[in-house]
Amino acid sequence: MNLKSFSIIGLIYFSLISTSNSLVIGSDENEILIDANFSGKDLLVFGAFYADPSQPREKKGDILIEVVGPKEDIVLRKKESFFGFWLNSKSVKFKDVPSFYYLSSTSELKDSFFEENSIGLLETSQFPELNWSLITTDWGSVSSYDEKQEFFEALIRNKSYENVFKKTSDEIEILDGNLFKTNIPIPNTVPVGVYDVNLYLILNNEISKDYSYNFTVRRIGIESLIYNFANSFPLTYGFTSLLIALIIGWISADLFRRFRKA
Amino acid sequence: MSIYLPIAEISINIFLLISLGGVIGFLSGMFGLGGGFLMTPMLIFIGIPTNVAVATSANQIVAASVSGTIGHWRQGLVDIKMGIVLVSGGILGSFVGVSIFEYLSDIGQIDAVISILYFVLLFSIGSLMLIESSQVIRDRIRKKTVKKKLHYHNWAHRLPFKTKFYTSKLYISVIPPIIIGFVIGILSGTMGIGGSFILIPAMIYFLGMPTSKVIGTSLFQIIFITAVVTLLHATTTFALDAVLAVILIISSVIGAQIGVITANKLRGEDLRALLAIIVLVVAAQIAAELFIQPDDLFNFSHMANYK
Repeated sequence: MNLKSFSIIGLIYFSLISTSNSLVIGSDENEILIDANFSGKDLLVFGAFYADPSQPREKKGDILIEVVGPKEDIVLRKKESFFGFWLNSKSVKFKDVPSFYYLSSTSELKDSFFEENSIGLLETSQFPELNWSLITTDWGSVSSYDEKQEFFEALIRNKSYENVFKKTSDEIEILDGNLFKTNIPIPNTVPVGVYDVNLYLILNNEISKDYSYNFTVRRIGIESLIYNFANSFPLTYGFTSLLIALIIGWISADLFRRFRKA
Repeated sequence: MSIYLPIAEISINIFLLISLGGVIGFLSGMFGLGGGFLMTPMLIFIGIPTNVAVATSANQIVAASVSGTIGHWRQGLVDIKMGIVLVSGGILGSFVGVSIFEYLSDIGQIDAVISILYFVLLFSIGSLMLIESSQVIRDRIRKKTVKKKLHYHNWAHRLPFKTKFYTSKLYISVIPPIIIGFVIGILSGTMGIGGSFILIPAMIYFLGMPTSKVIGTSLFQIIFITAVVTLLHATTTFALDAVLAVILIISSVIGAQIGVITANKLRGEDLRALLAIIVLVVAAQIAAELFIQPDDLFNFSHMANYK
């Protein structure tokens, strides 16, 4: 967090003090760059919120931060035992699944809140029909309700293993009563694209203010060059890789022959 | 220190990759094998996606075979005509192999099929090598000398389209080498291996080629097969990772040279017994993953991965 932007929110924060409920964002990070050394990154989100100062902390409202990554289509497969071999059998296609989903609040929010505002992905209990509005699902040969439930839970569980789906309620730090900040861990497995950050100020179980912005994850340098080259000119890329293999093979044969003669 | 692989889309410890390449290069140099059959399963084991492991191994084998062929070529131990006949069958086979690979990826069985194929392959090679080498070791202890047949006359000599292979001093039909090349091509396309451990015995026993010419000729043909497989994967599965390939090539080439030097100081049968044990351990590892119930029965993959 740089000092300049922090002092800017400070100013905005004090200018807003007279008005009722407000939410100000100070985060200015709008790019995460993937280079050869990329091993994940913490995204800093900070800002100020203002509720009724006469109320105790618990009643001043909650902050909810939602980060939604670019959509992807995935196939989820279930393994079954065939004569002792564990092989993939039934599969379900989920379309437009967020590649990254992070939900963080200052205190644990009620399920009814998520349900009413259609926020959330990690709470299967809120979706009795297993029909999260943003995901299109091709159930294939899976028909029973229980099995669908099982697949849905497995989707979230498997995504959580990779730390790309997460829900937490104790990672936002409150400073000075009305300033908040949190670090959102972006693992090195995330795909490139545009990520939406939605912030909500919640009062009495209702959204009082909201604010959205986005940041981009993109490759830079040699990583980006190689990736684009491989996808735009696959044949040339293949030949280049072969040529490199050929040259190294040739040089090594020659080098070691001389080395052994010496 | 970790490095981000642009196609595999993961970051992995660079020293792990270098030591993997070095050790497999060392083994391949020591035993005179391509090493692909160890490289692919080990890459999958350390977390590289199956498709990237197969495509990138093929590219790495190109470098290893070029290096090996040059050495044999200088000593006149490569039967070019036989190599070309094998390659013509092999190229057809590699197209079939990569198509099989794509189909299996689409239906979600690629990981299981690759594991089963590797298990069968490694288990049979490992057992055969262990039996053979232990017999030789036993004979050595009993001070027995084994007589070897000089030439095999079999069905390969009775088929049509017979042609002369001067370097190998053979007059046989071109059909068996084309079929052998074809089968190796399929294996190479689906498994990312060169196939020398199948090719070498096939050339000796089915074609009756002299043992001295076999290694150079098989290396020669593997260059072309794995080159075609590399190109096919680069253009159809988009799974070739050039960064991973370069790291593996450099480390394995160095490892291979150290392996060659070490091999000269040890007995052949002892080496083969040692390799047999390594191969059986890898086979057991793969079998465990196939037969033991996984912690989570579910797994997912990205649909856009192959297109």
